[in-house]
Amino acid sequence: MHYQTESWNSYKPTKSSSSSSSSSSVITDPLAHIGRLASDNAVVIFSISTCCMCHAIKRLFCGMGVNPTVYELDEDPISGKEIEKALILLMGVSSVPVVFIGGKLVGAMDSVLASHINGTLVPLLKQAGALWL
Amino acid sequence: MASHRIEESALSDFGHIPYAVPHMIHPPTTTFTNQEGSAFDFGELEEAIVLQAVNETKQPLYTGRPAATLEMFPSWPMRFHHTIRGSSKSGEESTDSGSAVHTLSSRGEGSRLEPESPVGRKTDSSSDHRVIDQMHHFQLPQQIDMASGSDSPRTGMSQAQPVAKTTSEKRRGAGSNSERMLDAKTLRRLAQNREAAKKSRIRKKAYVQQLESSRIRLSQLEQDLQRARSQGFFVGGGGGAGGNISSGAAIFDMEYARWLDDDHRHMSEIRTALHAHLLDGDLRVILDGYIAHYDEIFRLKGEAAKSDVFHLITGMWTTPAERCFLWMGGFRPSELIKMLTAQLDPLTEQQLMGIYSLQRSTEQAEEALSQGLEQLQQSLTDTLASGSVNDSMHQMAVALGKLTNLEGFVRQADNLRQQTLHQLHRVLTVRQAARCFLVIGEYYGRLRALSSLWASRPRETLIGDDISCQTTTDLQMVQSSQNHFSNF
Repeated sequence: MHYQTESWNSYKPTKSSSSSSSSSSVITDPLAHIGRLASDNAVVIFSISTCCMCHAIKRLFCGMGVNPTVYELDEDPISGKEIEKALILLMGVSSVPVVFIGGKLVGAMDSVLASHINGTLVPLLKQAGALWL
Repeated sequence: MASHRIEESALSDFGHIPYAVPHMIHPPTTTFTNQEGSAFDFGELEEAIVLQAVNETKQPLYTGRPAATLEMFPSWPMRFHHTIRGSSKSGEESTDSGSAVHTLSSRGEGSRLEPESPVGRKTDSSSDHRVIDQMHHFQLPQQIDMASGSDSPRTGMSQAQPVAKTTSEKRRGAGSNSERMLDAKTLRRLAQNREAAKKSRIRKKAYVQQLESSRIRLSQLEQDLQRARSQGFFVGGGGGAGGNISSGAAIFDMEYARWLDDDHRHMSEIRTALHAHLLDGDLRVILDGYIAHYDEIFRLKGEAAKSDVFHLITGMWTTPAERCFLWMGGFRPSELIKMLTAQLDPLTEQQLMGIYSLQRSTEQAEEALSQGLEQLQQSLTDTLASGSVNDSMHQMAVALGKLTNLEGFVRQADNLRQQTLHQLHRVLTVRQAARCFLVIGEYYGRLRALSSLWASRPRETLIGDDISCQTTTDLQMVQSSQNHFSNF
């Protein structure tokens, strides 16, 4: 799996995946699992149903005419917790919302907004096939 | 203490002092005890009355003398006390009863009065009754109307004199029978009256002291308010005025005030650079400095959001006019773009496209954040509205947790503003960008000045020195801010 390394360059997938696989109980490799989920659809959002910022990010994509695939972690009894922990490891601060476009990590709300304002989000969406014109 | 014994005997026939004028018609079966905090020491007075009454038992009550001795009434406990003790046996003509009433009415305003006329050394039993009336009269200053009080003793006297005649006869009779029998009762009552009078004196003193200290405190508060009001206008619209803001908010207000000063400096720098037609390279340096200046305020706001998000989101750090157009703790980026598009001509087609897409993306982002905030408010409302009484602590904890999300929204909104300014800087040329930022700075400067002007506009309904002082301060501030207006 590959990550878009905009401003956070120092993430090493192998290191953390090994550490997380030693502690995970349900999924062997949560980050790989996340990567697989992210690659399945053009736009993937990991969210929690009660989180307001997640709601905002969903509204943003829908407002642009995108139809994102949303994984509500609190509604996944099996692997929800694991994925959330892995996301915290990945993001560092908060677990949700996290957006993947075309299998690549875009980030949380601030990254999504920044890329939208500087005009890089729409081309990315088009490239991933989530937007037509 | 034979005199006291005699006083007791006379007093036994007196009941409580009535508090209203009509009571004067009744035979004075009341004691002269005043329990209600009068300035007048009735304890001493009734001793004197009793004393005098006993002295005059041999004389008829109503002598027909028009000028009864009333000197004892104007006097107040201390001197009264001394002279009564000293000269209970002597007889003196008192001032006219009418004038005494007047002096009493003028002095019976509830404060501690100074003795002005010599203590009454009355020899006339008729004045006993007038004493009773005067006592009633002294009650009246404690009541609402003084006027009726001063009139009624005169009428009351004429009515009550025949009654008092029988009273004094009764007194005479009682006094001649057994002084010993009256000792205990009257003594005790006298003592109680003294105590009551003392207590009411103390209470009154305490009340007056309380009033005095409250008055001082009020004047201090007014001074503070005046000072804070004048300072508040300098800090940018009253956001820093008063002592009710948190320390994080106060710190941010100070930092924002400093940032505004820096803003003026940067703007004049850009202005001179533009007019001097500096090379693009130099202008770019100045412009980068201005962008960094904006980054600084967003950083400061981020810090402030951690300590006091409400201060930011309610716009208490801004001026009222800015607050009116506030969106999530600051300016609305799409509105700013709309305002700028007219000022930025001429633009190339590519630049126009860039500005247009910037406007669209800021609008979409604003919409998304607003909807997120709305959901937060809805969720908070549901939390506060629901929940049983038993669950209230948990309910509050949940609500507190939800409130922490506010900081996230304010930070995302500031992030949006910062990104918008950076994108403007990217889309436009150096000169265009310099002009653009000058326009932005001037726009908000005018909005701030509008707030001050609005606050200091002449209001005909309010006339007063403090308002005029405020106007002067605001006008001075407006004058200084007008110097910052460029002929841009």
